[in-house]
Amino acid sequence: MVDIAFKNLLARKTRSILCILAVVVSVYLNGTTATMNNRMYDMMTSELAKYMGTIYVQQAGSSYPPFESSVAQATAEDILSRNDLGLNLAESTPLIFVRTERGMMPFMSARAMVIGVPIGREPVLLGNVDAVEGVSRFPGEQTTNVTILGDQAAKYYNVAVGRDITINGKTLRVIGVLQRSSMESVNISTIMPLITAQRLFGKDGVVSAVLLTASDVIQVSDIAATLRQEYPVLEVTTQDDMLEEAQNVMHMPLLYMSMMSVTAFVVAVAVIMSTMIMAVTERTREIGTLRAIGASKRHILNTLLAEALILSLVGGIPGALLSVPMAAMMQSRLPTPIQLIQIVVFALVAALIGVLYPAWQATRVEPMEALRYE
Amino acid sequence: MTPIVETHELWKIYSMDGIGIEALRGVNLTVESGELVACMGPSGSGKSTLLHLIGAMDTPTRGEVYLQGHSLAKMSDAERTCLRRGNVGFVFQTFNLLPTLSALENVEIALRLARISAPLRRQQAAELLERVGLSERMRHIPSQLSGGERQRVAIARAMANQPALLLADEPTGNLDTTTGEVIIALLRQVNSQGQTVLLVTHNPEIANQADRVVQMQDGQIQREYFPKPNTAT
Repeated sequence: MVDIAFKNLLARKTRSILCILAVVVSVYLNGTTATMNNRMYDMMTSELAKYMGTIYVQQAGSSYPPFESSVAQATAEDILSRNDLGLNLAESTPLIFVRTERGMMPFMSARAMVIGVPIGREPVLLGNVDAVEGVSRFPGEQTTNVTILGDQAAKYYNVAVGRDITINGKTLRVIGVLQRSSMESVNISTIMPLITAQRLFGKDGVVSAVLLTASDVIQVSDIAATLRQEYPVLEVTTQDDMLEEAQNVMHMPLLYMSMMSVTAFVVAVAVIMSTMIMAVTERTREIGTLRAIGASKRHILNTLLAEALILSLVGGIPGALLSVPMAAMMQSRLPTPIQLIQIVVFALVAALIGVLYPAWQATRVEPMEALRYE
Repeated sequence: MTPIVETHELWKIYSMDGIGIEALRGVNLTVESGELVACMGPSGSGKSTLLHLIGAMDTPTRGEVYLQGHSLAKMSDAERTCLRRGNVGFVFQTFNLLPTLSALENVEIALRLARISAPLRRQQAAELLERVGLSERMRHIPSQLSGGERQRVAIARAMANQPALLLADEPTGNLDTTTGEVIIALLRQVNSQGQTVLLVTHNPEIANQADRVVQMQDGQIQREYFPKPNTAT
């Protein structure tokens, strides 16, 4: 029956092509939302990994990265001078975060940002992230007009070590490009000395946050509780808090993505259903003839099912493949073969649901319909 | 020997806007194997309705239809479908070929429904089209064929599964006189090879080419006669 199904679809080329196009778009949308979910999930997990054993102190009500946060540098230094809290002060530092390029959509993270870190405290921020080119540390207290670029930032500015870039009107010499990090915020950052960032963005005497490292991971909760009590105007964030906040922040985008996915599915079902309803309505006499010459209801059902599945496959496979360049463009994980198959299965399920009603209509056609027009 | 077709007190009443219309009123008919029977009558006389009931395409309001001794009333929808597929061949007034399929594929479809293997059904379909004189037109789709050619394809399709009974509903109704004669000649030819044929027509000239004519009027058989010399009843 597949060959007959093909011929029926070819006989109505325009309608079939339009239906296939709609399926391509629906499947592509579904694949893209899956890619975006991947990306958001990756970003969340990579960022959270950074917070193991650490505490962020920032202005109350600000989110992460704390672009809107402003903490007096004196307060930051006060916290960083506390020996009584169980902090590893050598692994703690004040930081400045400035967003220089917003994400494509409001709920997306920044595309480029600046992190200011005191000279000599770069390892606190970067951990074991090395440079692929140049250095991953500032050369010394006297050299402030320098910057180290994250992996993505180097691509974003299209510069290499030894070249200059201009940030907010100030020219900085690129002294290093970092290898790709699990921390997305580092990847997209232009990292510069804290004092340079403060001058560039008019933040003299303030920082965005204080990154604290506990001497012992199990002390994190106690340290956070003490800080909250002693600095009530500041927000003290641990990994657990970050997870909760990340989940809160991600809730709406994920819901939005899910809605897009559901909408794409409903569109695919509706398009396939309307195409098949038209096919059944137009071919009532043909179906009646087939019934009259001995086609069972199952034969009729199989033919329609084959038509719907062909439409969904011909639309679904390119739609799924189109989501691959989209993922590459978003620098997200490429969909795995299993995910691609799932996306095609999405189209097949849409076809199966879409064909249910027209197929039921078709099986109700009586042989007498063949003679209805005589 | 069991007749191919037997009807007992066959009634068909259609309901139209709550009003019952009696299309058949107690029809008793017997068709023996190998006969060519013409059912003749004016429009609305019930001849097509009778054909549809005999062909298991419709169900009677009352009465019984026996096909090769089997009561259609006791059959399920699936059984009647199976019967139409294997035991009855239909030739329609408007040919009813599938427009997207070639002549060969249109004949093949009947064999495909009967689960004949692809190479065999292709061969059989080709042979059938050759029998009806369309060996040169096998690859053409219906819109590329003349009316007479389409009806010959329809006859080949109806013959595909070697049915016990060939039913033809006004097979020349959409054809000019000359082409109609060709089609009737073809039906006579298949009948001469042993095929039982029951055809419906309102044309006395066509009916008179049958072995027996059943004349209907107002849903009843008015009379039966044998049009060949010295056989009138």
